[in-house]
Amino acid sequence: MQQETSFQAYPSSKLEKTGKPSGKKIRVGHRKTQLQNRLFFAAAAVLFLVCVSFLDLSWEQFTNGLSSIPNIASKVMTISFDALPDLTDGMLTSIIIAFLTVVISVVLSILLAFLIAENITPVKWAGRVLRYILLVIRTVPTTIWVLLAVASMGFGSMAGVLGLIFPTSSYLIKSFAAQIEESGDETIEAMRAVGASWLQIVFKGLLPGLLLPFLAIVSFRFEMEVAETVMLGMVGAGGIGVLLQDYISYYEFADLALGIIIVFVTIFAVELISNRVRSRLARR
Amino acid sequence: MTTILKVEGLVKAYTGGTLALKGIDLTVEEGEFIAVIGPSGAGKSTLLRSINRLIEPTEGTVAFLGEVMNSNSKRSLRRWRAQIGMIFQHYNLVNRSSVLENVLHGRLGYMSPLAGVLGRYSEEDKQAAVDLLTKVGLGNEVFKRADELSGGQMQRVGISRAIMQQPKLILADEPIASLDPKSSSVVMDTIYENCRSRGIACLVNLHQVEVAKKYATRIVGIKGGAKVFDGSPEELTEEMIYDIYQGKEHEMHAQASGE
Repeated sequence: MQQETSFQAYPSSKLEKTGKPSGKKIRVGHRKTQLQNRLFFAAAAVLFLVCVSFLDLSWEQFTNGLSSIPNIASKVMTISFDALPDLTDGMLTSIIIAFLTVVISVVLSILLAFLIAENITPVKWAGRVLRYILLVIRTVPTTIWVLLAVASMGFGSMAGVLGLIFPTSSYLIKSFAAQIEESGDETIEAMRAVGASWLQIVFKGLLPGLLLPFLAIVSFRFEMEVAETVMLGMVGAGGIGVLLQDYISYYEFADLALGIIIVFVTIFAVELISNRVRSRLARR
Repeated sequence: MTTILKVEGLVKAYTGGTLALKGIDLTVEEGEFIAVIGPSGAGKSTLLRSINRLIEPTEGTVAFLGEVMNSNSKRSLRRWRAQIGMIFQHYNLVNRSSVLENVLHGRLGYMSPLAGVLGRYSEEDKQAAVDLLTKVGLGNEVFKRADELSGGQMQRVGISRAIMQQPKLILADEPIASLDPKSSSVVMDTIYENCRSRGIACLVNLHQVEVAKKYATRIVGIKGGAKVFDGSPEELTEEMIYDIYQGKEHEMHAQASGE
């Protein structure tokens, strides 16, 4: 009833009066937003020019490089299958490094995730401290971790696994914790109300519902990990990356071409499988 | 009659200064079935959760079976909570576990942490849980997964979990607010009959006055964090009801509000 009366308070004649065109063009945009947009693009253009002059990019180098592209391309186009056994062996090593890293990291991460998830952490301040430590681990690039591991362990797969465990675990802990925070509240409340202890809440209340989402996170991380191990092989972490690095340095482009194809096919396959796994999990 | 629960001067202030409870006194005697009514936001949920300390009250005491509860010792808190069952608006089951397992969760408070983690429920408990489920009409659903059930069935699992605790008191927080009228009456009947036949005192939050009047032995009215009515259903006059729901009259009769 109230709404009807308030609507009638605006007689139709009043609306007509304000809607009359006054001869001037009507501005459509929002003035402040327009001004902000223009300022933003002007600043971006200035910044771009400053950056170009700073890097001292030379046009000559660029044109020279362009002219040599057909040459390199034709070399890469020729494929040699001589290195096939070495390359498959290397690719397999890379996948195994990725797999081991993920498995070890999952074991390390699961309990730690429950320690830092805000809604179930048993000691609030300890959870927060752990969170900051993980932040520090994540801000150090993966390549640096692997190089540190290579420096202390020497070249090879061992260094690869060790170096990758840090960034992988911190990624998994963070993702697991986010999942726990997203899905747990009502169950936690019910489990606390029956007098369940922390471990009982985690194992009986939360884990049953979290296993599938966790598996989805793990499969996604494995996919990333395979791509990462290929790259990190180049800094000495073992696997196919070592071979690729050699071929590039010795200009063995025919072998390199086969290597690139193997990497492409493998990563493509891993991504396909992991996507399939995740969409299956989502439907359960 | 023994006093089950004695709440005195309960105050809950949230950070920012909002007072959810402004000094509530409440006594629950053995076997009582008390409906707590009031509009949404009146503090009904906070009151219930302050009793088993899912929410830590700011001031006041809660004495359960003559013992004043506090959160100082995790072990005694678990022991108190084990003796107080709770039923939730959204059932709060572990969706991916079996119906039977969900009911057995009611025993966790009495088990050692490790035995609970490993799921080593005793055979007597398992038998009791199956019997209970059969009694509430879920005999065919025992081994289904909890999320395969309908809302009304899920709530009956929630009730069974609470009964499984062999509690002295059951707290039910809007148990029928997410259910259709038919399931609502089945669920209310189930709560009522089980509490009465086992001598369990029950404190149930409701916003439907008719339902409260139908089941309750006593009605408590809450408004703006304070108790404004405490008496038998007959004593609850129309004026009193309008006073409690002032400004939120539409909530009085709402069945499935779908909050």
